[in-house]
Amino acid sequence: MFQRLYAMINRYVILVIGSGPRMMSIFYWPSIQIILWGFFSDFLLNNNLANSINSLSFLLSAIILWDVLFRAQLGLSMTFFEELWSRNLGHLLITPIKTSEIILSLVITSFLRTSLGLIPAIFVANYYFKLQFFQLGFYLAFFLLNLVFVGWSIGFVVSGLVLRYGQAFEELAWAFIFVLLPFSCVYYPLQALPDIFQIIALLFPPAHIFEGMRQIIDNGQVLVNKLMISFLLNIFYFMLAVFMFKKMIKSCRKKGNLFNLGE
Amino acid sequence: MSLNITSLSKKYNDFFAIDNVSLNISKPGIYGLLGTNGAGKTTLMGMILGLILPTNGVIKIFGEEFSHKRSDILKKLNYESPYLDLPKKLTVKQNLIFYSRMYGVKEFLERIHDLSNKLKINDLLDRQFGSLSAGQKTRVGICKSLVNNPKILLLDEPTASLDPDTSIFIRNFLKKYQKLNKTIILIASHNMHEVEKICNRIIILNKGKIVLEGIPKVILENKKLNNLEQLFLKLSN
Repeated sequence: MFQRLYAMINRYVILVIGSGPRMMSIFYWPSIQIILWGFFSDFLLNNNLANSINSLSFLLSAIILWDVLFRAQLGLSMTFFEELWSRNLGHLLITPIKTSEIILSLVITSFLRTSLGLIPAIFVANYYFKLQFFQLGFYLAFFLLNLVFVGWSIGFVVSGLVLRYGQAFEELAWAFIFVLLPFSCVYYPLQALPDIFQIIALLFPPAHIFEGMRQIIDNGQVLVNKLMISFLLNIFYFMLAVFMFKKMIKSCRKKGNLFNLGE
Repeated sequence: MSLNITSLSKKYNDFFAIDNVSLNISKPGIYGLLGTNGAGKTTLMGMILGLILPTNGVIKIFGEEFSHKRSDILKKLNYESPYLDLPKKLTVKQNLIFYSRMYGVKEFLERIHDLSNKLKINDLLDRQFGSLSAGQKTRVGICKSLVNNPKILLLDEPTASLDPDTSIFIRNFLKKYQKLNKTIILIASHNMHEVEKICNRIIILNKGKIVLEGIPKVILENKKLNNLEQLFLKLSN
């Protein structure tokens, strides 16, 4: 099992290192986001257009945390799409690899991709733009991990749909997550949403995570119940997404279209 | 070492791609799987490999039911097909190392070195797979399909789109390899000349059913025909 996992991850690393555009896609967006919003925050602060440093801290922290979710999802989907683009999935599925090993390799690869892209961006935001991101302390790791799990759940759903219904669904990889954005309360508190939207928002983990983040930055208060709810919701959605991904692979085996993928 | 298929069917909507096929291969040798386009050759191979789920029937490989021991069985199986590709941006060597690891091959560098010598692809090892010609890709694909020294090897149109020289080279290589390693090789092909040259037995599929099975020479004598092409045309009409 470990040799197969190593082979899967190593192959992806070779693929990325050998390709400028792939490398760029990992580092480029997170850093550009931070630089853009960092300058904007500086401008607001220097011209007394923001009422407190906290409100800017909210904004930059939210942008980074949202990007964690987005990168984790893209990292997983794109790694899986590489198999489809290279018409290699059939060859892969006739090796002794198990579906659980494919899932694990996608998760590890996505984690590496996300970390590589975001760690430099977080340090730039923290030291250059004086974002007090690390004031989230231990909870920062909790928020990051939870958002990464949300990203993976969406990544598995999107990958499963592309596998089952074809590459026209690839657009979903970029678009799907933005359906969740208004309900995630990234840039505004939950109370800013209409009542019915608040109910929908509370069904998904991101709203709980971003609410929790805001409380810590605002008054140092930790909403343990919100964090627990987000964690449990995450476990539920992740298991659901993995189940769906496995179902889609099985459905492709039934339909016999694993030979035609990528064409 | 055996491949036993019992009452295997694959139904897509109202159409049977494979219709109640039973097949027993227990002796090493080269077996030709013949049939027109849409006869069910690729579907049958896909089911043997687990890429396609049967609607009905049982596949037993090495005495074990495939659906129960998938991962263990696949360690001793391999496949090459023009329908599938290898990652284009990786070099040939990187691809071969990747698949060696996937099959848990020990001392895979030696194995790759040995196979690439025999298949004359040494000079291609450091080239990206995507930059190779069709013939070179086929030789690399066959090399990949042999990295785990499979007991059963499935080849789908292994010499399609190859020039005559390369086709002859591949045929001779497979014959030698089979003799030396006592492998079961199942080849799906349209090339009757090729099948006549290298196959010990043939299995002819038509509309998802096995319509004829046996030793090519004996079949031709019984049917009073000169070659497999005539037989093929007769059966498909």
